[in-house]
Amino acid sequence: MRPKTPVAAWVSGVVILLSAVGARPGVAQESHIGTLTGHAAAGKKVYRRYCILCHGADGDGTGENAMWIDPKPRDFTLAVFKCRSTPTGTLPTDQDLFDAMTRGFVTTNMPQWLPLTHQNRADAVAYIKTFSPKWKTLKPGTPITIPPEPVATIESILRGRGLFQKMECWKCHGPAGHGDGPSAATLTDNKDRPIPPYNFSTGSRFKCGVTNQDLYRVFMTGLDGTPMPSFADDIKPAEGWDLVHFLRTMQPLNTPEAAIWKTWLASHAQELKPIGPPGTGQ
Amino acid sequence: MVRGFLRGAGSVQGSWLVSGVVTGACLIGALAVSGGGSKAYTAYSLAVHKTKAIPAFARKYGLACSACHTAWPELNAFGQRFRDNGYQLMNDRDSPIWQNPSYIPVTFRITPNWHRESATKQPVDAVPGNPATTGPGTLTVSGFDLSGMDLWTAGTLYKNISFVLLPSSDNTGAFHFEAAFVRFDNLWNSHWINFKVGKFELDNLVSEKRFLFLSGNGGAYQAYHFGPVTDTLGFTNFGRGENSYTRYGIAVLSNTDGAVGLPASQSYDTYLTFSHAIDAGALGVERLGAYAYIGRRPTYFQTSGGAPIPGTGLGNKSFYQVGVAGDFFFGDLELLPLFLHANDNAYLATSTAGNVALPAGARDAKWNAAFLEAHYYINPQLVFTGRYETVRMSQQADPALPSDLGNIDAYSGGVRWYPIMFSRAGLSWHTEVSAVRTRGSAFAATDGVWTSSVFSGLDFDF
Amino acid sequence: MRTVHISLLAITVLGTAAMMVPGVPPAGGTISGKVTYTGTAPKMKPIDMAKEPNCVTQHAGAPVMTENVVTGPGNALRWVLIYVSAGDQGSAPATETVRLDQKGCQYIPHVLVVQPNQPLDIYNDDPHSHNIHPLAKVNPEWNKSQPAGAPPIHAKWEKPEFIPVKCNVHPWMHGWHLVIATAHYAVSGEDGAFSLQGLPPGKYTVTAWQEQFGTQTQDVTISGNETKTINFVFKATPY
Repeated sequence: MRPKTPVAAWVSGVVILLSAVGARPGVAQESHIGTLTGHAAAGKKVYRRYCILCHGADGDGTGENAMWIDPKPRDFTLAVFKCRSTPTGTLPTDQDLFDAMTRGFVTTNMPQWLPLTHQNRADAVAYIKTFSPKWKTLKPGTPITIPPEPVATIESILRGRGLFQKMECWKCHGPAGHGDGPSAATLTDNKDRPIPPYNFSTGSRFKCGVTNQDLYRVFMTGLDGTPMPSFADDIKPAEGWDLVHFLRTMQPLNTPEAAIWKTWLASHAQELKPIGPPGTGQ
Repeated sequence: MVRGFLRGAGSVQGSWLVSGVVTGACLIGALAVSGGGSKAYTAYSLAVHKTKAIPAFARKYGLACSACHTAWPELNAFGQRFRDNGYQLMNDRDSPIWQNPSYIPVTFRITPNWHRESATKQPVDAVPGNPATTGPGTLTVSGFDLSGMDLWTAGTLYKNISFVLLPSSDNTGAFHFEAAFVRFDNLWNSHWINFKVGKFELDNLVSEKRFLFLSGNGGAYQAYHFGPVTDTLGFTNFGRGENSYTRYGIAVLSNTDGAVGLPASQSYDTYLTFSHAIDAGALGVERLGAYAYIGRRPTYFQTSGGAPIPGTGLGNKSFYQVGVAGDFFFGDLELLPLFLHANDNAYLATSTAGNVALPAGARDAKWNAAFLEAHYYINPQLVFTGRYETVRMSQQADPALPSDLGNIDAYSGGVRWYPIMFSRAGLSWHTEVSAVRTRGSAFAATDGVWTSSVFSGLDFDF
Repeated sequence: MRTVHISLLAITVLGTAAMMVPGVPPAGGTISGKVTYTGTAPKMKPIDMAKEPNCVTQHAGAPVMTENVVTGPGNALRWVLIYVSAGDQGSAPATETVRLDQKGCQYIPHVLVVQPNQPLDIYNDDPHSHNIHPLAKVNPEWNKSQPAGAPPIHAKWEKPEFIPVKCNVHPWMHGWHLVIATAHYAVSGEDGAFSLQGLPPGKYTVTAWQEQFGTQTQDVTISGNETKTINFVFKATPY
């Protein structure tokens, strides 16, 4: 007669082993993107295949490759994210995370994960949320309301230019948006790593999306974790579009705003006061 | 001349040549690639290595192998899009000016291995040294060996201009070029227009270069080795949707099966392919496609003093192959089916020169081929594989031959375990068994000849 | 200038008063003492505010020094938080608003203490923008711009945490928001002295925290209305 296998011992041993290797018991985290529901358990497999090498087994941005790449991978344990539709200091929506993963981050090592199925991406979002306890205790913020974009006019651009001066954007981004403002060289992110401000003269795509709406969100929600603050308390929603229209004129792209600006500049350039510290003609 | 040799499956010479040709499936590939080369490859050596796994890309972009490959070298949907973009991530950092100057886009791959090859019904002298005693016998050889080596360089010459150069050697170190091309990607800012010129693998949905089999009898698709559906020289226009779910290709190719030096004639082949994939949610990406290859081959050459002059082929006769293939995921299980129908003109099938009469009763050779391959991914570092293939003659060129002469059934199965999976280099312990049964031996057209391989090796690249 | 000094004094007095009487009746025991250091304290360096000419003007004649180790007479240590870290029997949540000022490109006070959910108002008294970027990890991290003349930012911190605060535009600006779940705390002044009052009888663990030298703890038992004296001595190193 064979002795009975101590099943209970095996099962508890396996559970202990799984806990030791990082399985989180009770990982019932879900994500909701449109009609899609993602599950963290399935997302763990997606994470292992695609994400772990940079973002790390604990999701803290210290994967094997992290030391060789710049900018560094996102640390999910802090639950602080740059590209959100929600106000500063609040969690992003699941859709925000899904979109960030799908879009990737240009000029960084974070690729566009568009070829993964929607379900895979939703599952990965659910798994990412297991890395920080904040997702259990806090609700995502309410996405900000963005009014419809008015047509770009020279008046709007000039008002936007006034905002660029008044809100002192030039202190980091520079008077011409070249990323060379007086404070640019000393900027650090929330981990005290040096980080450059966006240089509009490159015309490169924004990390959080390429449309005017995406640009609006950048300064109305702030890029959490970076020196870029939220101006939602200081810029009225309609004024935000003025700033968007002006910012577009600083990029070497064929935008309607750039065309309007060029035409106006040809005859009115001498009317402009330079952007910069007070006393330089302001 | 290469073409004629390849048409041997339905040829009148039903001698040991037939079994010699069909047993070494990758043998035929090697010959095609080397242009009817002068080396006497045997069925017992894995002459040509197939590779398309490039840790150099992993190093450049900081991604693990598993990001682009289901199990390298096979690509997943993300890797397919990376490749379709011209080996670019489209992150505005693809141009080589952004690379660290010490980055070299070169990868080496080779597989030291132990393998055992066996073939039944081979002509063997019952008394060694006595040619009067030749009869059917089973031959078995085994030992440690090397595979061929691939030295792959690929990447971007500039944003949206990509290149591949793949000198490949057999296991003695004799080199040829398996691939060499320049690609112009995303022309006019459109994913739908890309252009590639040089020597390249045809854009088959199921790639033989990036598959998971390495043994002598399993390391090539039977369906692809009675046709030029692998390396070709020419140019192709191809394109795909934003995420590479929809893909098409049109190619114009020299009629040399990728052989260099202009050995054949000045006719050109055409290849067309189209595939579409759908997002099947938790199951994965499901892809289905079709292709057609239409070509002509010379049946005789101009001569000088009686000897054929290469490159002056005449008497072109046509052939075609059409097929459908799929790549279906059911979570961790992947199925790759393929079905192919082929037709060779009677002149090609009987190796008759176009300026003489056909043998009496000669017809076009027609056959069908199919395979079903399955992969089961336990995790990104462990995959089990299996495949069943069949080739069935549906019309012999010579009506006197048995209708099933040359029919093939092939069985393969294996496992690949990747002890390391990161972004600097790759290693896999590959074990595989495969067995092929071909109808028709040197002794009787009704004999079934079995050739089999057992293979275990360390497949590494860096 | 004088008005500036007076309003600053008023703020400090009010702030100190708020710290000393956070809604707890004055009856009960007292724990008091001094925080000092031994060894050589690091020298504080003058801050170059040339990037913000407004602030250079405000501090003309009195250069501003870094504030991570501020010493006083008799090796006293300033800006040390002393608080009851264990044994506190709870008290009514604090409701009066704590105030943080950004003035002359400095955070005033350098170390600010709030209880969880206690209202915090942040003012910009300078004629240019600041951005307030508390680098919270347990609480949500946020970052807001505050132009000159803007209304105060109303904030609160829900969870106990020691939060470093910086301004990205003016990289020398460093401060602390210390969120502690006790009403019994004090921040040492220039003389290093502190006094925790109104403690009911019980066993208490008192912790002293200095941003560069770390923490020290001592246990104190209060049985009635007596005053117990404990001192904290930090080992200072020049760097």
